[in-house]
Amino acid sequence: MASYVLTRVRQSVVTLFLVSIVVFAGIRALPGDPALALAGEERSPEALAAIRSEYGLDDNIVVQYGRFIGHALQGDLGTSSRTGLPVSDAIAQALPVTLELAALSLLLAVVLGIGAGVVAAVRRGRPAEWIANALALLGLSVPTFWLGIVLVLAFAIAVPVFAASGFVPFGTDPLDNLRRMVLPSIVLGSGLAAVVMRQTRAAMLDSLSADYVRTARAKGLSRREVIGGHALRNSLVTVVTVLGLQLGHLISGAVVTEQIFVLPGFGKLTIDAVFTRDYATLQGVVLCTSFAYIFINLLVDVAYSVIDPRIRLGGAR
Amino acid sequence: MSTTAGCGSLQSSATEVGGERMTDDRPVRDGGTLTVALNADPDKLDPTLAQTLVGRTVFAGMCEKLYDVDAQGKVVPQLATALPKVSADGRTVTFDVRRDAEFSDGTKLDAAAVVTSLLRHRDLAGSARATELAPLKAVEATGTYGVKLTLKQPYVPLTAVLADRSGMVMSPTALKKYGKDFTNHPSCVGPFRFVERVGGDRIVLAKDTHYYDADTVHLDKVVYNPIPDGSVRLANLRSGDIQVGDQMVPVDVKSALTDSKLQLFNSPSLGYQGIGINVGNVKGLGQAPGRVDTPLARDARVREAFELSIDRDLINKVVFQGMYEPACGPVSPESALAPGVRASRCPKRDVARAKRLLKDAGVKTPVHIELKTSTTPEWSRIGQVVQAMAKDAGFAVTLRPTEYATMLEETDDGHYEAFNSGWSGRLDPDGNIASFLRTKGAMNAYGLSDAKIDALIERGRAEADPAERAKIYAELTRRANEARALIYLYRQKNYVVAGKDVAGVRVYGDGLIRVKDAGYAK
Repeated sequence: MASYVLTRVRQSVVTLFLVSIVVFAGIRALPGDPALALAGEERSPEALAAIRSEYGLDDNIVVQYGRFIGHALQGDLGTSSRTGLPVSDAIAQALPVTLELAALSLLLAVVLGIGAGVVAAVRRGRPAEWIANALALLGLSVPTFWLGIVLVLAFAIAVPVFAASGFVPFGTDPLDNLRRMVLPSIVLGSGLAAVVMRQTRAAMLDSLSADYVRTARAKGLSRREVIGGHALRNSLVTVVTVLGLQLGHLISGAVVTEQIFVLPGFGKLTIDAVFTRDYATLQGVVLCTSFAYIFINLLVDVAYSVIDPRIRLGGAR
Repeated sequence: MSTTAGCGSLQSSATEVGGERMTDDRPVRDGGTLTVALNADPDKLDPTLAQTLVGRTVFAGMCEKLYDVDAQGKVVPQLATALPKVSADGRTVTFDVRRDAEFSDGTKLDAAAVVTSLLRHRDLAGSARATELAPLKAVEATGTYGVKLTLKQPYVPLTAVLADRSGMVMSPTALKKYGKDFTNHPSCVGPFRFVERVGGDRIVLAKDTHYYDADTVHLDKVVYNPIPDGSVRLANLRSGDIQVGDQMVPVDVKSALTDSKLQLFNSPSLGYQGIGINVGNVKGLGQAPGRVDTPLARDARVREAFELSIDRDLINKVVFQGMYEPACGPVSPESALAPGVRASRCPKRDVARAKRLLKDAGVKTPVHIELKTSTTPEWSRIGQVVQAMAKDAGFAVTLRPTEYATMLEETDDGHYEAFNSGWSGRLDPDGNIASFLRTKGAMNAYGLSDAKIDALIERGRAEADPAERAKIYAELTRRANEARALIYLYRQKNYVVAGKDVAGVRVYGDGLIRVKDAGYAK
């Protein structure tokens, strides 16, 4: 197990290094001069030259990359060319927002998705399955932006139970934090809940018709033990895989949700950085997101082997 | 600047607003936090380096200037005690600064601080103020509170320049302590002091007890939130999560008017929006103009025909619900210094004449034009309207939506035929003309080069007599319109929506929201 994890960690480090090169080159391939984007309306040649010099934009790309990676290895992701704030500070401020949003959305998706999936499978052919299927279809089809605006109109304006925007850290005011996070979590989690529901339902249907479930029933185990202990446990491998893959989408999907609810998370930071050609922030954010993806994949692989000890990948046997 | 110009379409039982409305003077109570939504995250909070309009709005809360603009668009003293005294040859400018002002860090404002700030604005590498302060030869303190500026040549726009970020005075102690990191610890003289900034989320200011007029400041805190999407800004205004929404677009303003809990402030803007045409930019900004081989660039008659094919009133009606103003010149008709062309005097659409001009020019129709437009919904609609109108006269306009930074790069380099060109506007007419229309001007992406325009710009800068200046800018406008390197289309208005429980917010022609007198109505 330990050597398997070690191998996966080594692979992850190499992947991250390659990602850093792709990210660095990709950002510089974007059209639009960052000095121009920064200078905006008041772009005198002297100001542009000073901006290029200050942020090292007049050096060649290899020198720029060397400087970037050298600083990054020391934990310094540079300074935002737009705001003058350290990128690591901006990331440290944005990260908890996106993580909380992703965690709440994931919780919602797991509880609703697995619950509805199990019900739909167990109650096959009955109204409960139709309702679950209809809700899943709705969750997959409704555009995030539309759902966000509708929820704000309904629950922040018409019946002002929740806030329309903004973020308050949980530690500062837990109730206000939840008041602001519930609607974005629903918006972000609804699509994932639908996916999880469909996967759970399909996996459960397979499991329920499998021999081991029939055996369990024949042994006289209770309905609860058969569904929860046998069918669901085996179905979870598929669901965890889907959750792992979707978690990445959750983080990238947060871009739109954070725009609608004005949450100062990774998505908003990324969008702002793209439009202002804020290289340092963009690099920092994309690298951190890549790191998150790689780390989640690592966790999923490890989770496989915990849920089903028969699974061993990467020659760890 | 007029404060009562008619705009009946804004009449509404919900807002009881008619015409221009710059403030609400109901008495307010002390205390409370005001949250202002901006349409973008400001850039650096350093008056020397700052570039954005939204940044200017935040500065309006915490950094006073030597001079300010009043509701009529006139320059009035702020940290200076009176309008500057200018020597007969126009090369020496003197003024005194207030004796009772302190920076937010508790240190005193004096002439030495003004000298430090002006020299930093002029000389710091990357300063966005360097161009407008370039005529400044020397700055010196003539006493504890007296300042003397020596100019390389007479420079009349200076007072208006000092009524913007170039006139902001920063604490020398804070500058020395933080250096380049001043942006994260800005310290000026103002009703509010900087507390914290969370990038992309909020900038928090708190009432400054050091402020010389602190007794008249009512709010405890002002929070600025960047909310780029107009409909999200409006939803937050409706839910009460924010109290003031900056730079609202007409479609959202119309929607806000139906809400009895909201009110509207508006003022005319000093800027313009139009279509820039590449008439000579072949080597990039700041380089000598050359020959651009397109029908539009070659022949002014083709440009005139293009202009005559466009109906400015229709654009205003279709795209902006009639809530902006048609424009046909670089200077706003509301300018106190040199009023520009009134919207009613803009050329009307004349398709027959446009066709005749194209025939006289001997060009093959349809004349193909590629128009680069911003990726905003407004410019997408304007592009479509222009495309449809120009077709009637014999033009085939292709639209190329282009993202902002890419558009700047391509147009500055001269890689375009026509693009949407706009400017947020400056108080002095020179600020709306010189950089754009002068040969090799810092923002002359059109490649225009006209010796008479260049000479008029120089005369306008040096002429002290306001009546004579007005004549010079009228002549400049006429010549700019003849050259048609930039076809002015419309002038935005500053629309600010606020909760009805908020009073004292001021919205002037410079587009900034002033919160010094704001508070919650009693």
